[in-house]
Amino acid sequence: MAIECENLETPYSASLRRPILNGISCKIKSGEFVALLGLNGAGKSTLLRAMVGLVPLQQGILRINGVAMTRNRASRREVGMLFQGGGLIRQLPAIENVLCGRLGMLPAWQTLWGFPKRDRRLAIDLLAQFGLKDQADQKTGQLSGGQQQRVAIARALIQNPQILLADEPITGLDIMAAKQVMDILSDLHSQKGMTIVVVLHDLSLASAYAERAIVLDAGRIVYDGACHNLQSQFTRSN
Amino acid sequence: MKHFSSFWKRYPLISRLFVLCAVILAYGWALQGLKVDLKLLKDSWPYVTDFILRLWPPNLEILDIAILRLIETIQMSLWGTTIGAILSLPIAVFSARNLAPGWLQLLANLLQNAVRSVPSIVLGLLFVAATGLGAPAGTLALGIYTIGYLGKFYQEAIESVDPRSIESLQVSGASWLQIAQYGILPQVLPLGLGYTLYMFEYNIRAASVLGVVGAGGIGFELVNYIRGFEYTKATTMMLVLLVVVTLIDALSSKLRQRLEAM
Repeated sequence: MAIECENLETPYSASLRRPILNGISCKIKSGEFVALLGLNGAGKSTLLRAMVGLVPLQQGILRINGVAMTRNRASRREVGMLFQGGGLIRQLPAIENVLCGRLGMLPAWQTLWGFPKRDRRLAIDLLAQFGLKDQADQKTGQLSGGQQQRVAIARALIQNPQILLADEPITGLDIMAAKQVMDILSDLHSQKGMTIVVVLHDLSLASAYAERAIVLDAGRIVYDGACHNLQSQFTRSN
Repeated sequence: MKHFSSFWKRYPLISRLFVLCAVILAYGWALQGLKVDLKLLKDSWPYVTDFILRLWPPNLEILDIAILRLIETIQMSLWGTTIGAILSLPIAVFSARNLAPGWLQLLANLLQNAVRSVPSIVLGLLFVAATGLGAPAGTLALGIYTIGYLGKFYQEAIESVDPRSIESLQVSGASWLQIAQYGILPQVLPLGLGYTLYMFEYNIRAASVLGVVGAGGIGFELVNYIRGFEYTKATTMMLVLLVVVTLIDALSSKLRQRLEAM
């Protein structure tokens, strides 16, 4: 099992008058492509952030590949994450942003004066794979939204993760760029057997790419199953 | 409270009039506190014009002294700003909401406020008493004075860092030092350098004031000429200062624009 959530609950939120996650239990198998769906405030992004230890839990257990998730560095290495908008450092060149994905594997003294040549070659290869070799030395802030998201994917992949979490990776992208990003995620799943969990708002995209959908409402799972006929499932949950 | 705010929204004209009256009242209150004597102001006008006329023409014989003192002022500002910038960095990190725990923020903010509440001239007096007359006292005073401002500016620059970019580094397993080097520093550096340049430019003017209490720089000579009724020499000092401040202002504006575009 790649991800196991047992009765996850976050601290009480005064604005929502409930915990953001309110007893989430689910299991995601290795190699699955899962879409997390739900209305705004349902808890999708919080669940994803909890999976990488960015959200403190009030109760419940979260296991990644059978190991309980903690806030230490090692437990995070198996999981890569794509943030909404990329979460990149706009002032750094694309290649430096990709190399930042290696930080967890290198001691601080080694990265004080830059990254090893081997890692730089790896970063260039990844950027070339996503059609960004010529933009490697360009400041990330000068790249288009789609290019930035591809740099973010390259940064996640340089970690060599077994699981990739994506928080609304296509928000703000045009149709072509969004399709490009979703196709990359799909290829990573089908060709490399990577476990993908992606937060989406578009039901048709979820049906087109994901095998399984988990629908959240008010911090609870209201649907967990196949991706077909999602429209009716969603209507019922509201 | 709810009824009160809905009243404000329903009658916008009354609310604007109320605000206008409040502003007029505040200014009236401040003016009566000043106890301005309009007759005295009118009678003093001939003295003001006489003083201004006596400043002209500038005495260029002391141009070499003015330039030497100006160089000393720039040297004081350069070192004062650098000392202040170095000391401001840890204080800014400790007072930043997104980096330090609450108790440390409180202590660092208290220190910043304490430094900011001491005027530069008081710091000048303090260091003149400690190290004697001259530029070293002024440089140290500028260094401490700078902390109060750069500490706050750096803190705000650190707090404006994109939180998602920092979280993405945390997820990759980066250590605190690596996050600071690759996440915070690149985002803070352009803004921080811009603020430091502004402070350098500001400190040249502040260094001129410090000369009044004997803490070196161009202000020291300026005050001596005014006290000795050598107004034309004082004019030369002020003109040299004006030219240099304008040049540095133009140069640092250009540099700041470039940094902001980074």
